[in-house]
Amino acid sequence: MNRKTKDMILDGLTYISSGISVFVLIAIVLYLIIQGASSINWHLLSSNYNVTAYNAAVVETNPGNYAPYNGEGVYSEQYGVAFKDITTAHNDDEIQVVYIDSSSPLANMESLIAGEEGKMVGLNEDSVVQSLYYFDQSGERVFLSRTQMSDAATLVDILDNQSSGVYSINYQTLGGGIRGSIIVTLYLIVISLLISLPIGIASAIYLHEYATKSKINSLIRSGIDTLTGVPSIVYGLMGVTVLFPVTQLMGATSTSILLGGLTLAIILLPTIIRSTEEALMVVPQSLRDGSLSLGATKSQTIFKVVLPCAVNGILTGILLGIGRVIGESAALVYTTSTVINDYPTLLGQGTSLSLMIWSIMSGEQPNYELASAISLIILILVFIINILVKVVAKRFSRRLV
Amino acid sequence: MELCFDVKNLNLWYGEKQALTNINMAIESNAVTAFIGPSGCGKSTFLRCLDRMNDLIEGCRISGAIIHQGIDIFSKAQDIVDLRTKVGMVFQKPNPFPMSVYDNIAYGPRCQGLKDRKKLDEIVINSLKGVALYDEVKDRLHDSALGLSGGQQQRLCIARAIAMSPEVILMDEPTSALDPISTNKIEDLILELKKDYTIVIVTHNMQQAARISDYTAFFLLGEVVEMDKTDVIFNTPHDKRTENYITGRFG
Ligand SMILES: Nc1ncnc2c1ncn2[C@@H]1O[C@H](COP(=O)(O)OP(=O)(O)O)[C@@H](O)[C@H]1O
Ligand SMILES: [Mg+2]
Repeated sequence: MNRKTKDMILDGLTYISSGISVFVLIAIVLYLIIQGASSINWHLLSSNYNVTAYNAAVVETNPGNYAPYNGEGVYSEQYGVAFKDITTAHNDDEIQVVYIDSSSPLANMESLIAGEEGKMVGLNEDSVVQSLYYFDQSGERVFLSRTQMSDAATLVDILDNQSSGVYSINYQTLGGGIRGSIIVTLYLIVISLLISLPIGIASAIYLHEYATKSKINSLIRSGIDTLTGVPSIVYGLMGVTVLFPVTQLMGATSTSILLGGLTLAIILLPTIIRSTEEALMVVPQSLRDGSLSLGATKSQTIFKVVLPCAVNGILTGILLGIGRVIGESAALVYTTSTVINDYPTLLGQGTSLSLMIWSIMSGEQPNYELASAISLIILILVFIINILVKVVAKRFSRRLV
Repeated sequence: MELCFDVKNLNLWYGEKQALTNINMAIESNAVTAFIGPSGCGKSTFLRCLDRMNDLIEGCRISGAIIHQGIDIFSKAQDIVDLRTKVGMVFQKPNPFPMSVYDNIAYGPRCQGLKDRKKLDEIVINSLKGVALYDEVKDRLHDSALGLSGGQQQRLCIARAIAMSPEVILMDEPTSALDPISTNKIEDLILELKKDYTIVIVTHNMQQAARISDYTAFFLLGEVVEMDKTDVIFNTPHDKRTENYITGRFG
């Protein structure tokens, strides 16, 4: 075979392989976009996952003074409220309030739920109607179930034309939002970096700038490399057995976000140490020599010359770390729990975004749309962080160079 | 004549390998001493001994003594940071820090704890004037030093050393990475600096040694073959090996 054909074959193989990887990547992103993009909206990002139910009685019988409304949905003149038919992230058909005038009788009702009777509640843009009692033209109280009201138009028709008043409404919040899990994810990023960054950078400095080539140090080094390969479920187990007592000291009574953060900090350590060390390796020895020859001490040399030069590598480590935290799920199953919590606290339970995918998909009715939507959000988050870190790194290096 | 360094029976090993053998040498103050010799003969290694930069190298072992101002610089009595503030070093390749011109020069004094802005300004300007760089960079004191040309960077490194007001400046082939014009400027500068500082310079270039130095030491295989006044070394060397090297018969 002559050299030319050999070259052509090799080139061809390279093109085909890179073609395959690009194709796979594009396919994944496309799948996520097709499945999930339509579910992403402000409501998904900002509202609770869990549904809260209300049952409330109407107290004001006269219609209010409503501002004119021309927006979407079917509008009830009588009650100053507009409804819309929707399909939720959980694939349920619901009748949602899209607009309600603040003077509407339905915006100012008294709760009928045991324990909070008389508390003022009302429909808002996050409510979906479940059922209601109304008075018909002869003043008889009639029950209208969710199946009987079939859609928004029917409901408005009953409210405006067939009833002489509403007695009470059963409604609930829409739910299905991921706000809680976003907060948990942020918590985890902050906790794990806060702990692993200083320790990791200090370890890298020790290993690269101070340690001699002794047996113990090469043992430490290969230990760190091995840690990178340990499956994260093992870290999770270790977290719940070894670190749980630590969080107990701080007041935790169950698995908690703090415990998850601590576990993640340990998972991040090898990454941070490695990338910092690699960054330190690239700093030319001549700069260290230059600094020392000017009478700087070793620690002055490290903090004033070496570390600023290594800042890009350290930022890369942070980026990798954040990516790992956002993507981690196995290590969190035992440490933060798989309970989707809308109001997470440091010592409470909760799921991160990726763990939430697991929770949703392992329920009775796996929800591909919501899972894809969350995946897409994770993808976007990682992308944004990527850009942010690059911008910061550029800022830094411009100051340095 | 006053002695700056008095080197006695200095031996140095990198691991098992001996790089310097039994060196005895007297280096005079306020003079330029040049080290010449083929590469790998230990010139840089010896130069680095004078401000103990070999301490950084793992597996490096030293015996013998270098007396500076009455004490052996290898003894416990010598504070290493203190030694390096008195003995500055300029390296083969310009190595400015990735900071502004100003911060490069202020680096040494700041490490000593000097914070007074006025004093720092004064040091920076005087040091830059001392290496004839001030006029070239006065408008970009706060720009990165990495934007300067190679020759300017090397003069900046000399200015950085001067900013510490040292007694000695060690230079390891300071012009080997530079073009002829920059080389000339630095040679002129060395002749100028000789008035105030003791200068020890390693050079690959024999004309350079002849032009700028008062004393020359010829190194070969880790030993000093001969050291004398520069014109003696270049005109009437005592050792056959020196003569062979000078006349270009080997090396
Ligand atoms: N850091 C080091 N570790 C081991 N050997 C070294 C080191 N630096 C220099 N050497 C060896 O010491 C000898 C002298 O080197 P050097 O002083 O750099 O020579 P020169 O500057 O005269 O060219 C050479 O053989 C070189 O290989
Ligand atoms: Mg050399």
